This record gives sequence, structure tokens and C-alpha cells, in this order.
Amino acid sequence: MTASPGSRAGAAALRRMRIQEIALPLVVVALAVIGTILKGSIFFSTANLWNVLVQASVAGTVAVGMTFVIATGGIDLAVGSVLAAAAVIGGHYFHGLGSAGFMLGTVLAAVVFGAINGLAVAWLRIVPFVATLATLAAARGIAQQISHQTPVALYDLEALSRIGSLRVLGIPIPAIVFLVVVGLGWVLLNRTRYGRYVIAVGGNREAARIAGIRVRPILFSVYLLVGLCTGIASVLQTGQLASASPVVGLGLELDAIAAVVIGGTSLAGGRCTMLGTLFGVLTFALIFNLLTLMNVESQIQQILRGVIILGAVAVQRRDH
Amino acid sequence: MTALLEVRGLVKVYPGVTALAGVDLDVEAGEVHCLVGQNGAGKSTLIKCVSGAAVPTSGTIRLLGQPLGAGQPSAALAAGVATMYQELDLVADLSVAANIFLGHERRRGPLLDLRAMRREATALLTRLGHATLDPDARVAELRAADKQLVSMARALSRNVRLLIMDEPSAILDPPEVDALFDVVRRLTADGVGVIYISHRLDEIARIGDRITVLRDGATVASNLPATTSLDPLIQLMVGRSFGEVFPARAAPVGDVVLSVRGLRRHPDLAETSFEVRAGEILGVGGLVGAGRTELLRAIAGLDPVDGGEVRVRDRVLPPGRPDLAVAAGVGMAPEERKSQGLWLDWTQIRNVTISSLASLGRGPFTDAGAEQRAAATHLRSLVVRPDDPRRLASELSGGNQQKVVLARWLLHTSVVLLLDEPTRGVDVGAKADVYRVIAELAGRGLAIVMVSSELAELVGFCDRILVMREGAVVGELHGETATEELVLRHALRTAPQLEAR
Repeated sequence: MTASPGSRAGAAALRRMRIQEIALPLVVVALAVIGTILKGSIFFSTANLWNVLVQASVAGTVAVGMTFVIATGGIDLAVGSVLAAAAVIGGHYFHGLGSAGFMLGTVLAAVVFGAINGLAVAWLRIVPFVATLATLAAARGIAQQISHQTPVALYDLEALSRIGSLRVLGIPIPAIVFLVVVGLGWVLLNRTRYGRYVIAVGGNREAARIAGIRVRPILFSVYLLVGLCTGIASVLQTGQLASASPVVGLGLELDAIAAVVIGGTSLAGGRCTMLGTLFGVLTFALIFNLLTLMNVESQIQQILRGVIILGAVAVQRRDH
Repeated sequence: MTALLEVRGLVKVYPGVTALAGVDLDVEAGEVHCLVGQNGAGKSTLIKCVSGAAVPTSGTIRLLGQPLGAGQPSAALAAGVATMYQELDLVADLSVAANIFLGHERRRGPLLDLRAMRREATALLTRLGHATLDPDARVAELRAADKQLVSMARALSRNVRLLIMDEPSAILDPPEVDALFDVVRRLTADGVGVIYISHRLDEIARIGDRITVLRDGATVASNLPATTSLDPLIQLMVGRSFGEVFPARAAPVGDVVLSVRGLRRHPDLAETSFEVRAGEILGVGGLVGAGRTELLRAIAGLDPVDGGEVRVRDRVLPPGRPDLAVAAGVGMAPEERKSQGLWLDWTQIRNVTISSLASLGRGPFTDAGAEQRAAATHLRSLVVRPDDPRRLASELSGGNQQKVVLARWLLHTSVVLLLDEPTRGVDVGAKADVYRVIAELAGRGLAIVMVSSELAELVGFCDRILVMREGAVVGELHGETATEELVLRHALRTAPQLEAR
């Protein structure tokens, strides 16, 4: 009670600052420096740096939607399967409508899967882990059933297949899409009433009800949102492959959730940061880019991924 | 003779805050030593130091002359110091016996000896005068009073010498408090020393032997007889005279704002009807579990109902739609302020504006500047301390947290306020402040329904009192004629038959 109110408020603000918000950008910079030192000419080229973003774009776009879901205290394990199912549905049923038709159909299919998850969580009150686990299994099955376990070739969709190669102002399209989605996600989370309600419901559901917030529509909507993001990611993925494969997106849920969590969003809900998610995505992307440049085998990369997640979450725990 | 517990010159400094600035405390074996003081006076910190949950900065704590290992709860427990916290640390899904022996289970070889634990649990409960409590019952299904009993039996099972009880009566009805006191007396008769903390000062004379008063982290009076009358005690606690607690108010004259007709919800709430006028404060009394909270929640649309109608001004509220109740101007301040009323890790600003965001932004967007200005206006008008809207809700005292909730409904221009135990967990000095704010809100024309377990508050502050028992309104008392005794008689079913309502 001795310190002045000003300095105590300052200390409070400092305490509020999540450790990841300072630490992760530093990690990203440190990785860039290490990369430049070790593999200077190859790593620090515009081509490679854009490549990092392109590689991060699929999981990164999904991670934006995932941030909203986790902010409500939920989780979506189905994103990888839904990505594949949406791609196959788009490739199979909307192929004839051209690139735009394919994209629309794919995104729509992913949103429908999101709606199913949202209904199960918000109205049937099924625990998100279980509801989306069920969708994970079913969506993968749907993808394989429709495609007869063979990829649908999409080379004839010219606009779609140029997603991977076309650049605007020198920036690859997937990188642009990812960064725009992050930007929109940030605004939605931090500058709109909707974003506040999402955090309110995640932080204290009963207080939100008492304050007059309709909890179920909010819960429903975040799964719709992650469905939308997954649909966009599915278009980016199929565009780069120029085919809709039923086996894409394996383990995507882990990449997206890991990026969100090491970014500093709490799995318990109510505490979330979109910038943290961006840096979480970048951290993983840079690490694997570096390891690949250094010819480290992919199974070793996989092990390192686990170590990084554990380490980052351990740091986060100490912050509480 | 050595005292059971001897605390000398205890100092505890947290970063930026001196929580204890030299506390002395003596507890004898077999006595009930009452520890009183406002919130923030240092009671909780003192308890944490004695029970080993916190390490004192300096000073000594001796149990029977032996220094108590600092910062080691297990050492304190082994020495015979047990603590019963407000939030009982029981495992809800385990049985009574399993909870009593949690951490020191009776075993036969590597297996649990369930029979022995059941038998010993019954013996312990019998010692506490409650032989009828089933050792196999799941703790989740017990009443609050029985849970406390389990907690005490657990302390006994560890050969407790010193039992620290933190506000044990806060969640109990008067008859249950009597039973609790009976149990405490059995413990002290066995030579156990008890440190008893309560905000209900009237309990001290009934159960206590001696009193120690803390203020601002220091002992301001020690070893007073429990017969010390309340006025000097309160003066010691607040450092000033208690005087006028309840603000004077003009009689309400407004139109009917809230009208409840035949509202019912099986099995919590029998058919209930009443009206509240603008500017009126309607008290709702009764024992814990009489259906008071359920009544408020039904009005607010938080729980589904079986029938009846809630009308705010001319608008009928659809049941089970809290969002529409809020939109119609019904604001609720729940009893569980921290878990239901607030987002503790949010600033005061956000806690105030959450229900009014639509009117504070443009389109779907929020407007931080407008939020800040609107919240600050209402927080200042209610004199929230500290006067810093950016401060987190978790950093405020109970009374100021309550004001933040009220500011939310002021900003939302609510017309009906449902207050559930608005002064629960608010210390004596700050209670008067909460009454002032509520009176002011009534003065602005809000209709207020206030559930309270504090008889003085109902009788001294409310214009009219409904008394509930077993889910039904069983009595209605008016300001001047209401007495604490009358309220209690209705609540306990000892009142003469009332006029049919």
C-alpha cells in the first residue's frame, strides 16, 4: 500500500504483458540471425523468406480460426480432415464450375463441417474435444469415399493452379492470403464487439450470460469461423498441389494448435493473442526452413517439434 | 506454562505491499481465539504464515515452544496445525471417509483398508456429535454444513492441536451455526486450540474466549475478553466510530417497474408474486437454500421456469433468455461475484462496458476511447477505489468489485437491479459504502431486489422484506414494523400464521 498508484498500475500493466509477446518476436529474430550466419546466402534471400511464409500459409490460416476456438476454451481437432474433405468435395462436385466455383464449393464445404462442429458443441453440449474428434474421423472417411482414395487432378483449373506460382508485387499469393487473414483476425478479435464477446465467453461463461451475452451463438460461430479459415487453407493447399488429395492435412490440427498455444493463447479460454499466433506460426516455419536447409531429416524435425512445444508451454506455465 | 501458539513480531512483505507489519498472537490450548479485522488487515496472510503456506519476512512462530518450520505446510500439519479455508479443500467425487483420510490413508499392505477408514471416520464424526453422517456418502452430495464437518473430522484425524477456521459460518444458516459451535466446543474440550475468523462480530461473544484485533497488518489489541461489546471492537477495527451505517432514504413513490406473477420452478420455487416500485429496495430474507437465489435467477432468465410471468414496465420477459432480460433493463449482481459477476483478469473498464458495447462503438467495432470515458464516469460516480479504471478487477477489494458490477448496470441504464448478497465478503468499513451506493441507485429511480442473509441489513436498509422458506414466500414485512426477530421467525417456521398473500 506504500507505492504510488501510478507505479502500481505500471507494474500491473507489465504483469499483464504476456511473456510470449516479447519472447517470441525475439525468437523469430534470433532464428533469422542464426539462419543468416549458418546459411547466409540461401537463407536470407527474398525467395527463401517468401517461401517460409508460403509454407506457413496453410497451417497459419487455420491457426487464425483456431485462435478464436481456443479463446472460448474449445478446440478443433478436425481441421486436417476437413481440409482434405473440403478439397475433395470441391474437386469432385464443383470442378465443372471453374476455379471460382471450385474455391466457393471448397470453402462452403469446410464451413458446413464447421457448422456441424458448432451445433454439436453449442446446442448438443458435446465436449469440443469429442465433437471434433468425431468429425476428424468422419471427414477423413468422406474424403476417401468421395475420391475413391485417389487425388482429383485440377490442372485444368488455371487460376487455381497458379495460386502457388503467381506473385503480386513480388509476394506469393498464399503469403498474401495468410497475412490478410491474420490482419482481419486481429481486427475481429481486438476491435469488434464480437471479439470481445468471444473472449468474455471463454473467460467466464456464467458471467457472460449474466451480462446479457448469448453464449451459444458465440460458441457456434467460432467453429464456423475455423471452418471458413480451413476452407481458405484448403484452396491454398490444392492450388499449390494442383490437385485435391484425400490425404492432405494429416497432422494439420497439431501444427495449428501448437502455433496458437506457443503464441500465448490459453487452452483454458479467455486469454488469447492474434499476434502471438502469428509469431507462433513464424517460429515453427523458420525452424523447419532452417533445418531443411541444413539437411536435417524430417523425422528429426518432427522430434524437435515436440520438444519446442513442450518447452514453450513450460515457459507459459511459469508465467501464471 | 507455554502457550499453544506464540507469534511474535511477524512481518510479511510482498513486493510493493507490507501485508504484516508486526503481529503478535497468543493462543492457549482449549480456547477459541477470535481474530478480527477488516479485509486487508492481514488475517489471511497471518493464517498462511502459521499454516506454512507463506514464508514470513521476519518474526517467530512457536507451537508449544518449538519454532514452526517456515513455508512448509506439511511440517505445520505434522506439528498439529490444521486449517479450514473458506473454500473447503475437499474432493467432491470422493466419499466422506476417503476425504477424511486423504493423504494419510489407512492401509493393509499395499491396499487401502476401506473398512478401517469407514470405522474410524464414524468414530471421528461421533466425537464431533454427528454420528449420523454416512462415511460412504459422496462429498458432492452433502450440504455445506456437513462438508465443514468432514473438513473438521479430517483435521481431527491428524491429531490436530491448533485448528484455524476461516469464516466457517459464512455459508451456514443460523441453526447450522449453532451446530457448528457445538462441534467447536467439543474440540476445545479436548484441548484443541481454535483460531476463529468471522465477519459476523455477534458470533464472537457466543463462541469466543479471547479476541485479537488486526488493523493494517498490525495487532492493535490483543487478548481482549470475548465479552467486549461491539462498538469499541468496531472502532478498533476501522479506527473510527461506526455510527450511521445505513444511509437515510426518502420513501419510494414511483410506479411499479418489476412485476412478478406466479413465477414457479420445480422444486426450487413455489408460485411467487410481487411487485417492486421505482426507487424501492425490496429485501428478500430466508435461510440458505430457501429459494432466494433461484428467485433472482428465474427473474433474470438465467434458469428455465415452469410457469408464471415477469414484467418489466410493460414488457413481458420471455423465460430462459437472460440476454432479453438485460435488454429490458434487468441487471444482476450475483452472490458469486468473482466467479459469476466479473472477469477478474479484465480491467475495470471492460467489466463495466461489456453489456453496453453496442451503444459505445460504431457498427460492429468497439471504441476504446468511448469505453474508457463511459466507464470512468460511472466508476467515479460510485467512488470506486483505487480511482484507476485501468486497474484489473482482481486487484480490487470485495466492496469495490461490487461497485464495478453496479457501474455496469448503471451504464446500461438498467431499471431493475437484482442483488444477491451484495455485501457478502465486504468488510465492515466498506459495507456502509456499498449501502450508500445502493441507496443512491434507488434514489435515481431503480427498482432494487436485494437478497440478504444479514438480518440487520434487511431490517435497517430495505423498505419492504419478503421472507422465503422452502421455495415459497412465507411473509412480508414493512420497513417500520420489521424486526430481526420477526424475519428469523418467518424464516424458521416459528411465526404465527400470516395473512394469506
